[in-house]
Amino acid sequence: MNPNTKKRQVDFQVIAQWVNEGDRVLDLGCGRGVLLEYLKQKKSIYAVGVDIDFDRILSCVKRGVSAYHGDVKNLLSTFGDNSFDRVIFSRSVELLDEPDVILADALRVGKRVTVGFVNHGYWKNRLSFLTTGAGTVNEVYPKPWYETLRSNPFSLSEFEAFCEARSIRIEHKVPLGGNWRDECKLLPNLLAGYAIYDLAK
Amino acid sequence: MNDSEQSPQISEEGEVGFVEYQDYVSRKPFHFESGGSIPELSLRYETYGRLNVAKDNAILICHALTGDHHCAGVHNVDEKKLGWWNFMVGPGKPIDTSKYFVICSNVLGGCQGSTGPGSINPETGKRYNLDFPKLTLRDMVKAQVLLLDYLGIDCLHAVLGGSMGGMQTLQWAIECPDRVGRYIALACCARHNAQAIAFNDTGRQAIISDPAWEQGDYEPDEPPAEGLSVARMMAHITYLSDAGMEAKFGRRRRVVDESKEHFDVEFEVESYLRYQGQSFVSRFDANTYLYLTKALDRFDLHGPNSLDETLSVVTSPGLVVGFTSDWLYPPQGNREVVESLLRLGKDATYAELALDAGHDSFLLRDKKLYELIDRFLNR
Repeated sequence: MNPNTKKRQVDFQVIAQWVNEGDRVLDLGCGRGVLLEYLKQKKSIYAVGVDIDFDRILSCVKRGVSAYHGDVKNLLSTFGDNSFDRVIFSRSVELLDEPDVILADALRVGKRVTVGFVNHGYWKNRLSFLTTGAGTVNEVYPKPWYETLRSNPFSLSEFEAFCEARSIRIEHKVPLGGNWRDECKLLPNLLAGYAIYDLAK
Repeated sequence: MNDSEQSPQISEEGEVGFVEYQDYVSRKPFHFESGGSIPELSLRYETYGRLNVAKDNAILICHALTGDHHCAGVHNVDEKKLGWWNFMVGPGKPIDTSKYFVICSNVLGGCQGSTGPGSINPETGKRYNLDFPKLTLRDMVKAQVLLLDYLGIDCLHAVLGGSMGGMQTLQWAIECPDRVGRYIALACCARHNAQAIAFNDTGRQAIISDPAWEQGDYEPDEPPAEGLSVARMMAHITYLSDAGMEAKFGRRRRVVDESKEHFDVEFEVESYLRYQGQSFVSRFDANTYLYLTKALDRFDLHGPNSLDETLSVVTSPGLVVGFTSDWLYPPQGNREVVESLLRLGKDATYAELALDAGHDSFLLRDKKLYELIDRFLNR
């Protein structure tokens, strides 16, 4: 397994802790359905993944994960209130066109919302920009800006300020250190490389 | 992201080769949803591959409006055209005949061997023509159920089809949830929108206003050829796309015969459509065209209460595939079906393919479509 794959799966265990047996789970930006496959095995959930990329949908089909090829915002609008126990954004909030609107709708559709994201305030990112004046290219951001999707990176403190402003309750949060493995309790906005939030209305 | 996954090697492909059709005949009266009935019915079908001992490896393919039971192989050495889904059906292909027993039948109401308006009513010795009962897609499925009973198949591994075949597939999942292992509906919808009904009716009016139609009582060798041909020409446009037609024909011209009057064929696209219209007349019955297009227009999974209510009985996993350039049954109509299934907590997947062949994209030999069907059938 390459280190990138390992990093991508880092939030699986944390997210699985918050998922109950048999939950209805919607994963927005589900990629190849690996997280949902894992949750199906661990917690026998009803899983639905959403992605805009055909090849990833194809992988979901292979994994036996129900998937919807299309726009997250459009699909959310077709679901009733609280129709899922949990809506997950794993590294996908930074790719949304209207994060504010979509997170609000996710909180309407899901009883709980999980957001996992790379902390843009992590000290290495700050140092890199300070010293080179250029965006980071590393294993987390493997490609230069002109080869990646439009992305809107944000830091832990920015995310918490957003939750505060929108009266979104943070039920749990797990900041992870630079290795994305050990919990990081000290100065998370500076020292956490990745964070997972469990949100409620 | 560089997280692509290797596609499995596609195994060596073969062909189903020579095939023969068979006729299933039921001597019992068949009752239509509309209340009408016919004293007996016949369904023409083909099968490929072998039914296993457990009888659990059967796949039913449902054909589109003007398709038929001949979806793979050839009937004889002189036949130039392969079955309509030949690239999809055969040993080593996504619908793998070395694993599955594949069945495809001409629909009830059809004109390629199954009982339809052009068949002889055994009670009168005359063709049914417009005495044939009002037809629905449920009737078509009900007739296919009789065929499966006859073949001794309790549960299908899968049902699949495109366009009208996709709608029959959905109807199968609704009518017989315990007999459908999984289903794939391509380029379909839960009901016709106004545009689709409008196109169908324009086609029907072309037929009906042809004097040769004779209120449906034409002789088989004197069909309303002009009307049917125009209906086909127009419908054929709806199966293609702007980009696809542009790429295929553009404004390319034919050599014009100056001695002829100036509405003679001038552009390639005119020539192509006229040929499509004329060749259609030789293989398709005008009354069947009227009956089948009406059945499609009446098909409505939103009724009588809601789409969610209609689909609530579905239990099998399903895959619905839309095509970006399909403006007859646009992606939205395909998506809507899956959105409803997901609201209901069903196992359902929606995939969309960016192909430029319009509605007929499901008939393209495309690698992605190939993989999608292969993976869903064999997951």
